[in-house]
Amino acid sequence: MAADPIVQVRDLSKLYRQGDIDVTALNHVSVDIQPAEFVVLMGPSGSGKSTLLHIIAGIDRPTSGDVLVQGINVGNLSESDLATWRNQYVGFVFQSFNLIPVLTAAENVELPLLLTRLDRKSRKQQVEAALQLVGLGDRIHHRPDQLSGGQQQRVAIARALVTDPVLIVADEPTGNLDAKSASDVLDILRSLSSRSGKTVIMVTHDPKAAGYGTRSLHLEKGEIVA
Amino acid sequence: MTVLGFILKNALRNTRRALLTISSVAVSSALLVSLMTLERELTVPPEAEGASLRIIARNKVSLMQPLPAKQLSAIQRIPGVVTVTPFTYFGGLYENEEFTSFAQFAVDPAPFQSIIVDGPVIDGSYEAWMKNRTGCLVGADTMKRYNLKVGDQMRFRGTFYPCDLDLKVEAVYQGTVDDRNIFFHHKLLDELTGDPGTVGTWYLRAESAEVADRVIQQVNDTFANTSAEVRAESERAFQMGFVSMWGNVSNLIRGVNLVVVFTLVLVAVSTMSMAVRERFRELAVLKALGFQRRDLFGFILAEGFGLSVIGGAVGIGGAWAFWTFSDIQQMTNGFLIVFEVTPRIVGLAAAVASVLGVVSSIGPAISVGRMSVVEGLKTLD
Repeated sequence: MAADPIVQVRDLSKLYRQGDIDVTALNHVSVDIQPAEFVVLMGPSGSGKSTLLHIIAGIDRPTSGDVLVQGINVGNLSESDLATWRNQYVGFVFQSFNLIPVLTAAENVELPLLLTRLDRKSRKQQVEAALQLVGLGDRIHHRPDQLSGGQQQRVAIARALVTDPVLIVADEPTGNLDAKSASDVLDILRSLSSRSGKTVIMVTHDPKAAGYGTRSLHLEKGEIVA
Repeated sequence: MTVLGFILKNALRNTRRALLTISSVAVSSALLVSLMTLERELTVPPEAEGASLRIIARNKVSLMQPLPAKQLSAIQRIPGVVTVTPFTYFGGLYENEEFTSFAQFAVDPAPFQSIIVDGPVIDGSYEAWMKNRTGCLVGADTMKRYNLKVGDQMRFRGTFYPCDLDLKVEAVYQGTVDDRNIFFHHKLLDELTGDPGTVGTWYLRAESAEVADRVIQQVNDTFANTSAEVRAESERAFQMGFVSMWGNVSNLIRGVNLVVVFTLVLVAVSTMSMAVRERFRELAVLKALGFQRRDLFGFILAEGFGLSVIGGAVGIGGAWAFWTFSDIQQMTNGFLIVFEVTPRIVGLAAAVASVLGVVSSIGPAISVGRMSVVEGLKTLD
């Protein structure tokens, strides 16, 4: 018997207002995602894949429909509860890394842990473990400008997984990387899914990157077409 | 890493801008402190210990109108009057000076001794001055400024009176609120001016603070409906009469203070807005990671507040140190005697700097609070 889906998207729609015109970004989308799946969202620009990712991750609100993550209806949470939920349930990886330039790798990874009740020593242990996992145990005191693009993205992955979230969302994580670095990053994401049991949802344009996923969803004009 | 460390690193990420912000707040705070102190010095006269006992009686018409010398015996008879001396402003220019910053007063040395109780003689002898009709009693500040010693001659050109003074320094006093003035025999002035039988004002000492008000009333009553009515008042009230002449200057200084504060607010708001604007994306990431609006508000507030308070501390501390250890008399050519940065002024300036920190952070913090994560992530670096 299949496990309960970790993410349930039900009849989800999102409309943007541009001037006097309503633009439909998502049109009655429904999809289930199982635990430890590595789902790749693909599609042309403006197809709604990033919007779907943002709504699942709780950084955007749907116009209608529901998103349930481990049974929690994300759309019903207040702004404050949603922030706490994101801290506990979701790890983010962005295309342009989005590390804080004045902080070291370790400090960047520690940021989400500042919101937990962990003491300094425990935070340090978790940060070091996360950086070890992405192969940057020897770069903990380096600032982002002292790291290559691939290394910066690995720090971002360490930051995403340091709170041990059930869901990791990645928005074109290899978009700014060379082929070798992209491959390293995708290997890590795949391993997080296959070995650590994390559910990974990744948006990409790159068919090669899509090959790392366990399932691909193609979106066009706000609808899942395949 | 601690939250405080994170705030500190953010505040100092652009060292040049942080230093410029701190400097602008510091310079403005120092200016604010200096102007508030100047206003205070111009409008609140220093209070001497014996001021509550001293009474000045002048012509009711105007300070410039003399009083008849014959009023003396009537004043002496008023119960509660310990002593009384004529007190006439000479207004001379010292040697070749175009402007002389200390005053010369003609007094009767014997009764004057029990009036100038705040300033004991520190050099020479009061008795010697009393005996020498062409001698003078000089304040220690003037002695120091002109490098004088007892026995030296001082020459003054008359401006109000058509005569000059040649005085020998016989005694030096120190300890009054204004140790610059010079006192000489009224008899000498009478002699030089052909004894017109007038005095500038009367300087009285009351028996006690309790009877001072009654003495003032009685002096006024004694000469009511005469050809030379007087207006007697306490030394403090007399000084406040001079102070009221600074009314417009005081308003001007307050106006400049307001402009300084307003400019400071604009600078601080602009700096904080720029600082926050350029990291909108980072703040959006923090939101995505789970930081609440109130957390971000706290970060921005702490940063703005911190920079303002550091700038304020540097400026206020600097102004305090500068004015405390400077010779204000020399700097202002004797125009100001003291320039005291009081705890109240320090407190007010510190409050301005603190409020500034909060005000400068509110706008940027609100815009960050309203920003959605998606919108923030789309911001270009």
